[in-house]
Amino acid sequence: MKSFTPTQRDRGLERLRRLTFGATAGALVAVAGVGYLAAASYAGKSSATAANTTSTTTTTTDSSSSSTSSTNSVQPSTQAPTTGSSGSGTVTSGGS
Amino acid sequence: MAIAVKSWKALGTSVHVLATDAGELATATTAVSEVLEDVDTAYSRFRDDSELTRLNASPGRSVRVSPLLATAIDAAQRAARLTDGAVDPTIGHAIRVAGYDDDFSRVAARDPQPALPQKGSENDLKLRAWRVPGWQAIRFDRRSRTVLLPAGVELDLGSTGKALAADLAARAALVAVGVGGVLVSLGGDIAMAGTPPLGGWRIHIAEDSRVRPDGDGEVICVPAGGVATSSTTVRRWTRGAVVLHHIIDPQTSLPASGPFRTVTVAAATCLDANIASTAAIVRGEAAIDWLLSRRLPARLVENDGTIHYIGRWPDPSGVAA
Repeated sequence: MKSFTPTQRDRGLERLRRLTFGATAGALVAVAGVGYLAAASYAGKSSATAANTTSTTTTTTDSSSSSTSSTNSVQPSTQAPTTGSSGSGTVTSGGS
Repeated sequence: MAIAVKSWKALGTSVHVLATDAGELATATTAVSEVLEDVDTAYSRFRDDSELTRLNASPGRSVRVSPLLATAIDAAQRAARLTDGAVDPTIGHAIRVAGYDDDFSRVAARDPQPALPQKGSENDLKLRAWRVPGWQAIRFDRRSRTVLLPAGVELDLGSTGKALAADLAARAALVAVGVGGVLVSLGGDIAMAGTPPLGGWRIHIAEDSRVRPDGDGEVICVPAGGVATSSTTVRRWTRGAVVLHHIIDPQTSLPASGPFRTVTVAAATCLDANIASTAAIVRGEAAIDWLLSRRLPARLVENDGTIHYIGRWPDPSGVAA
């Protein structure tokens, strides 16, 4: 193993300190940025079934999903719904 | 994991808040209530003191609006743009003329309203001569938050406004609780935020949001985003012998009369799900290709009850979707 002089070791430690500080500061900026975006998105405060049913299915080839938040189109969910069963914590989606 | 639920009424509809951490339900509920109060103050069409009412009463004048109303107008204009005007916020006058001019509980309680004008009569011709002005008529500057509505333009943010409120409320609730997952349902328009329960949130699909969630019917599991249902079967009233509903076709200024009575869509947000479900009711048959091209899983119920499952929507019969 290569041995270092005390001066080289001190310089290395100093470099490591600077890197650690840089990474921490970067992370803080990123957290603040995400927090700002989340806050800005809510700008309000400063602080049955069908009766007589038959069913048809229309399919489409869909091999990808998108997680981008572009406002230029209606955004699909990243994960498709799956069939479930009723139980605790079920809510109804319907007209109102 | 036991999911905690709190339900109440607000914005003229039912509110359900679900939290994966029962100990955080009260915090989530408070956050949701605050958002809904702000929404009511900003863009209720039935409050004399709401910002939207004041804006609608100030034609031809540039009005600076609150950040929340600006967000709602922005969302409504985006909906109109993405649907080629099928979902249009300038239907305010049309829906009022059709008879939906008050909180719906009072509209529904009225004795039969005066009949619509007879075909060919002077009033009928006046009604037909009137057209939805179209969303491009709104002069809205997002940066300065100023809005100018030309005379004759009246905004109704009911459709996108409720879904946007669900998204905002779910996000606010998650920020308040900090951990776990939250689901907010406003009259059947559902927004989810945070970590879902194992297997996803369970959503019972019905034509009427008042149907009990443990009743018979289809249940889907959704991990995130939003689910919205638009239907012509629930918010209905009569004028004379004519049955009307609240989904206005901007092309005709009258309630939509297409082949679908109910459409449910799952999307990245409740707002986008609602934009798509409302547009599908208005667009009719053309909605199927429109939904497919946008990769939006959807369930459409025809007027005769026939159900179509579109894209990645799970077909309960097991046929590949």
